[in-house]
Amino acid sequence: MKNTFFTMSSITYAMKAKEYLNSIGYHCDVRRTPKNTGSGCGYSIVVRDDPDIIAGQLERRNIPYKGIYSY
Amino acid sequence: MDSRKTVNFDNSAGTYPKPDTVRKSVADAIRTLGGNPGRGGHALSVQAAERIYRVRKAAAQFFGAETENVAFVPNCTYALNMAVKGLMQSGGHIIISGWEHNSVSRPVYALTRRNGVKCSVAEIYPDTQRTVEGIEKLIRSDTLCVCCTAASNVTGRILPYSEIAELCKRRRIAFVCDCAQAAGVLPVRVGNGISFICVPGQKGLYGPAGTGLLVSSGEYALSTIIEGGTGATSGELVQTPQMPEKLESGTLNTAGLVGLGTGIEFVKNRGMANILRHEAELCRRFEQGIERLGAQVYDREMPRVPIVAFNISGFTSEETAAELSRGGFALRGGMHCAALAHESLGTGKRGAVRFSPSVFSTQAQVDALLNFMEQRFGKHTREKSRT
Repeated sequence: MKNTFFTMSSITYAMKAKEYLNSIGYHCDVRRTPKNTGSGCGYSIVVRDDPDIIAGQLERRNIPYKGIYSY
Repeated sequence: MDSRKTVNFDNSAGTYPKPDTVRKSVADAIRTLGGNPGRGGHALSVQAAERIYRVRKAAAQFFGAETENVAFVPNCTYALNMAVKGLMQSGGHIIISGWEHNSVSRPVYALTRRNGVKCSVAEIYPDTQRTVEGIEKLIRSDTLCVCCTAASNVTGRILPYSEIAELCKRRRIAFVCDCAQAAGVLPVRVGNGISFICVPGQKGLYGPAGTGLLVSSGEYALSTIIEGGTGATSGELVQTPQMPEKLESGTLNTAGLVGLGTGIEFVKNRGMANILRHEAELCRRFEQGIERLGAQVYDREMPRVPIVAFNISGFTSEETAAELSRGGFALRGGMHCAALAHESLGTGKRGAVRFSPSVFSTQAQVDALLNFMEQRFGKHTREKSRT
């Protein structure tokens, strides 16, 4: 499966997302967003699992994300 | 005088000594955390960001907040300024208590001069209901905020902050709670009417100086009083809107914050109730000792955090503190940056001397202080009482 980047609004939310996803069994890393998404200096979480499932998990925990990109 | 031999009974200004774990964690952070947290994608930056996040989470759990609602600030004064000015930037009415530190009264005074803010000062009575009713009577249609200390930095008097919070919740008004003396000994948490908790790192949380927390319940958005680099939304001129970066412009004090996180863990492990019990016992011992010397103890009958404010007959508070310093004991005399509180206490001219132990203070140290005071002040007060 490809890497999927969830762009986050802040490093704090990126860390919070990573911690939460790790705690429920999903591997996740925090990385600099690899392309300019408009506002600059962004952080993303990178996952290899189904992005729809990950998105659902983040929404369940009220962790906002800005966009989803696959590379 | 060798300051290393000085016994610190001025822990209300900053706990010292610090726990070994705090000292070691700060040293370790300086040695190993070289990156600027949230300021890059390289390994050093991410490593520092992960460590900072762990501190943020520990603080959030300690004060009952969501992680993103914990903002790191340089000290409690910054937290109070950011909360009060962030709420009142466009005017309106604020209520403060008559027991506030200058870190509340001065920014509020500045707001009244510059922003057209109106302020009422509420009296605090021994009777909680009377205090809360008094505050409620001061609420107006344009009241936006009540700001009050949980415990006085002068006498330690505990204000009815939970009841004031309930009132604020019922009247839908923000409540900013100054927890400079309460954090680490009283179980203060955001929610149930407490909108913001402002905390210094270097006092009851046993962290280093230069650290502090502004903890929010998430119910009220603050306007910023400082803008700048946040590591997020860098392509835009408008300040980053997300918490906590919104309130954290500029580089964080990584090593200090790591120490603060370790301090919070220290307090959790010791247990707030145990810390309070130990310090309160030392205060009782000290109080009984100085009353035998004829000292006047303030707010003696009030519920208090572990602080004893007193004066010795025939001496100004500064003279007493200076004499104790010569004997190797650090106690603070004067006004304690709290003119309003001293005015309420009736010590506006004279000030008072403040004794405040920490979890590391011992009975033997208190007895040594009392012996010294007996030598220096006992004779004088006995002569004074005969004339």
